[in-house]
Amino acid sequence: MMCAFFNTVCADPLKFLGNWFVVLPAIVLLLAAGASVVARNLIHAALFLTLSFIALGVVFIALGAEFVGLVQLLVYVGAVAMVIVFAILLTHPAQLEKSRTPFSGLGPAGGAAVGFAVLAVLLAFIFASPLGKKPLPPSAAAPVAAIGEALMGDYVVALIALGVLLTAALVGAAVLAMDDKKP
Amino acid sequence: MTLQILLATSAVLFAFGLAAALSRSNAIMILIGIELMLGAANLNFIAFWRFSENPSGLAGILFVIFSIAVAAAGAAVGLSIIILVHRRIRSVEVDDASNLKG
Repeated sequence: MMCAFFNTVCADPLKFLGNWFVVLPAIVLLLAAGASVVARNLIHAALFLTLSFIALGVVFIALGAEFVGLVQLLVYVGAVAMVIVFAILLTHPAQLEKSRTPFSGLGPAGGAAVGFAVLAVLLAFIFASPLGKKPLPPSAAAPVAAIGEALMGDYVVALIALGVLLTAALVGAAVLAMDDKKP
Repeated sequence: MTLQILLATSAVLFAFGLAAALSRSNAIMILIGIELMLGAANLNFIAFWRFSENPSGLAGILFVIFSIAVAAAGAAVGLSIIILVHRRIRSVEVDDASNLKG
């Protein structure tokens, strides 16, 4: 009974719960991302970023990519968001509330202008393309076993290179952040 | 439900990240903007995979897995650089890190 329920939902969440299963987390994703971008308080920005990562993972799961959605939750919510919060805590002891100048570079108007320009070009191409009007294929599944076989088969060289990259990056990060005055 | 909705969502997310990376002065906020742009790219991959002719090929899924791993490595290195800069100049504002400015 329970198993049948889960099989129905997981085989095609879109058919079972309708488009709202994608649209609602997408709305949450955009609202949280926008709040994160304009937040003056860094901690608020990091927490809104975490919320947008969670919503993005839910969108992935709703689209049928359960494994990628769970990886998104584990890696981004579990690791990247936590590392960002730690960096904020380590670098902002006293002046947490008031960032001296929250904007630089292009400034708020310049950043918004470039963002709107890029968005306008992207949306014009997206809505002009015939590719976007394709109907939804009946179902798409990415079973974990197939992903594992692909990673260990066709993509094994890329996987090993990725392991080397991650090792080098994390050892490099630890060496960079190490305090070299103390032994 | 069409591909356009997902691509438009991804475009808006990318624009938010671009605006943050270009206009904020705090290095951590710039990194947050970069993470938002990477999330938009991943959403595009998953959307095109879902609407593709051959979803069992799994190319979109695998590309997103690699992309997430590379983004995590980048975030770790970036944040350690931010901590190092903070130790040297007691600030994470990008305008203060101007020692190499001519």
